[in-house]
Amino acid sequence: MAELSVETSFTSAVVDRTRALKRFALTDAFFRSLTRICAISVLVILGAIMFSLVEGSWLALSTFKLDFVTTEVWNPVTIKFGALSPIYGTLITSFLSMLIAVPLGLGIAIFLTELCPPLLRRPFGIAIELLAGIPSIIYGIWGLFVFAPFLQSHVQPFLIDAFADIPVLSSLFAGPPYGIGILTASLILVIMILPFIVAITRDVFETVPTVLRESAYGLGCTTWEVTRNVVLPFTRVGVIGGCMLALGRALGETMAITFVIGNAHRISGSILAPGTTISATIANEFAEAVGDVYFSALISLGLILFFITFIVLAIARYMLLRLERQAGN
Amino acid sequence: MSMMANNLGTSAIGARTDENTPEKISVRDLSFFYGETKALKNISLPLYERTVTAFIGPSGCGKSTLLRCLNRMYELYPKQHAEGEVLLDNVNILNPKQDLNLLRAKVGMVFQKPTPFPMTIYDNIAFGVKLYENLPRAEMNERVESSLRRAALWDEVKDKLNTSGLGLSGGQQQRLCIARTIAVRPEVILFDEPCSALDPISTSKIEELIDELKDHYTIAIVTHNMQQAARVSEFTAFMYLGELIEYDRTEKIFTTPSVKKTEEYVTGRFG
Amino acid sequence: MATDVRNMTLYRRRAVRNRVYMGLSVAAAAIGLGWLAIILGTLLIKGLAGINLAVFTEMTPPPQAAGGLANAIVGSLIMTGLAVAIGTPIGTLAGTYMAEYGRYDKLTPVIRFINDILLSAPSIVIGLFIYEVLVTRMGHFSGLAGAVALAVIVLPVVVRTTEDMLLLVPNTLREAAAALGTPTWHIVMKVGYRAARAGIITGVLLAVARVTGETAPLLFTALNNQFWSTNLNAPMPSLPVVIFQFALSPYENWRELAWTGALLITFAVLSLSILARVLSSKSGGER
Repeated sequence: MAELSVETSFTSAVVDRTRALKRFALTDAFFRSLTRICAISVLVILGAIMFSLVEGSWLALSTFKLDFVTTEVWNPVTIKFGALSPIYGTLITSFLSMLIAVPLGLGIAIFLTELCPPLLRRPFGIAIELLAGIPSIIYGIWGLFVFAPFLQSHVQPFLIDAFADIPVLSSLFAGPPYGIGILTASLILVIMILPFIVAITRDVFETVPTVLRESAYGLGCTTWEVTRNVVLPFTRVGVIGGCMLALGRALGETMAITFVIGNAHRISGSILAPGTTISATIANEFAEAVGDVYFSALISLGLILFFITFIVLAIARYMLLRLERQAGN
Repeated sequence: MSMMANNLGTSAIGARTDENTPEKISVRDLSFFYGETKALKNISLPLYERTVTAFIGPSGCGKSTLLRCLNRMYELYPKQHAEGEVLLDNVNILNPKQDLNLLRAKVGMVFQKPTPFPMTIYDNIAFGVKLYENLPRAEMNERVESSLRRAALWDEVKDKLNTSGLGLSGGQQQRLCIARTIAVRPEVILFDEPCSALDPISTSKIEELIDELKDHYTIAIVTHNMQQAARVSEFTAFMYLGELIEYDRTEKIFTTPSVKKTEEYVTGRFG
Repeated sequence: MATDVRNMTLYRRRAVRNRVYMGLSVAAAAIGLGWLAIILGTLLIKGLAGINLAVFTEMTPPPQAAGGLANAIVGSLIMTGLAVAIGTPIGTLAGTYMAEYGRYDKLTPVIRFINDILLSAPSIVIGLFIYEVLVTRMGHFSGLAGAVALAVIVLPVVVRTTEDMLLLVPNTLREAAAALGTPTWHIVMKVGYRAARAGIITGVLLAVARVTGETAPLLFTALNNQFWSTNLNAPMPSLPVVIFQFALSPYENWRELAWTGALLITFAVLSLSILARVLSSKSGGER
């Protein structure tokens, strides 16, 4: 039957084909709808997250209105809840950690792309990427048992003494050395988001066309000048996008912070003092919360956190997308 | 539906051929759009059954676009559409109701770069066959062998049918792709610059192959190589900027073309 | 050749500045890598001290008593496995839609954007979400709720890698298959998935690595359980949550177990990441 040179066999497949075609059309329609439903489920999940958070926080937000974000009281006994201190804590720890992690991360990325001996470039790069995957609870437990005691006995007394006579700094580094607190939490965040920043900036640096880099070196530029005047301007958007992504992670980070922040609902001028963040408050108190308003207040915190990170991440993605288009052209 | 062409002979071009060869495909007033850009402008020409028709012209003239209209490959992409008619055995395949899978099973295509699937040589051939036919193992083996033989590849690969198709040389890969196309028993085969990525020896093998294949199939070939067009085809269409400038018997196009532009192109004065 | 003296001074200044900044860059690398090395070193020393057979065979102990992490390990395995079983098929199919059927659909960029947001959304928020939709409705904490929370984290990772990997499959291959009259689903199954398989598996492994250490979403979904439990309808222990509770406790034996658990998790996560990397580099070599 399958003898190809026989003329008729070329046309005999017709019957088989029509049957097969019908099956194909059905399967294709089915598969298409199935994959589409799954794709849309991504949207549904995000929508459901928003909806459930808004629904859950309704009670607290309608009870306290604007007071929820402007007052500092957090008292389950009198059922008065103001989220200012966790919001402040979230923002200040993220800010401080970015302040340290961004220059450090850029430095490491420059080292990896420009200075590192080629032989070590891959292992270093892989090590950084692997570290980005280490769960945050590991950093938390290290921070609590190793880093905080170290800061308490060696670093914080020194900071307090050194800045005691300088007007602004003295209040920034005031108070007894607890070990745990805003500064410790920020430093733990630094080490957590560092691999993240390095991995992204390194990838972004590598989008610089070799010709551009070489022509700058060809003019006699030093490594620093090439980095400063060619690489950084070319990749600015991507670097900022990467940093925003890291910021998004810092804002939402829970476990590492929960261990070392001290969980105190108050705003202190000193960065050595204990504080709290949105996620740490939720993690610490949710399982033990009693009363609808308390629950709702905690879910409101989640809503605020989601809102902040959503905006930061949206900006980050937008910027990385812009870099992608630029690199594509 | 009869797969045999009816000898209706409704040629759009008229008495360009001295035989009674039926038209396998008739392109009528075909225009093609990439978004707003009109890439093909009112093309009409026939493809005669069991002959080779070559499409030549400078890059961007629309010759590949025309080829991709014949199996509606453009449907994979958005914002591309064709207007006019393309009749295959007197059925308009541009009709939205036309089943694309059936069309493509009837009108096979071989691409510029060899595209073996990431599977064994045997599976590369069996892949398309299994879609439409439920063959017992022995018949499948037979089909694979005959397809490979017809693509002049059997002797080179018969001992390694179960190795990856990616391990073959470029020329062998291209012949594998031809064998794969033959295996589903098409009626028309479209070649889109099949030799442009190949060395001269592989090229001449493919050309010989095309010459043999035309005994069984209607063939259209896009080529940027004028010698190749002259060697393999009976009819040649010269295209320029989306228009069909001249269509005629190949020897006429290359010796006494009636349009000045064609003459300039085939004598190498531009292009 | 005579060189202008001023230019040499300028050049020297530039060279010095270069050296300063490059020195800072090396210092940054030293600080960063050194810091991470210290963390891993501590983890190794403190964690290895507690590794013994009992860790894998005995239940989490009451304070001041001997015990292991067996129930937590099993709980983690069950919930992670279930999360992958839920998240992977949905994620793969969603990624397939975005790369194949819906590649030019106007909806696809929107889904991609939302998926990226979901990918980096704070995991504690996902925990809250599952608490709201599952725990309050069921009336109690459960391993099932924990698994679903983890599945929501697995999903965007798989969607992203599936789409990326399928987009890497060259269009010429798709055209070649279509030219044989192959229907789209068959092209996806036989050509797309086959070429992208290693990449998709890598994505799943990375997703597993990610959820292995997730603590926050489990805190108020699966909660914890002192005892052996494989009942998905009851609270279920997990390594991260046990580490969290034990580390914050005042009991020495609990803290030791927390370090051991931390070492186990890190080891698991690093092995998964390395496995994923080896797999993806292998498939890269084939192409």
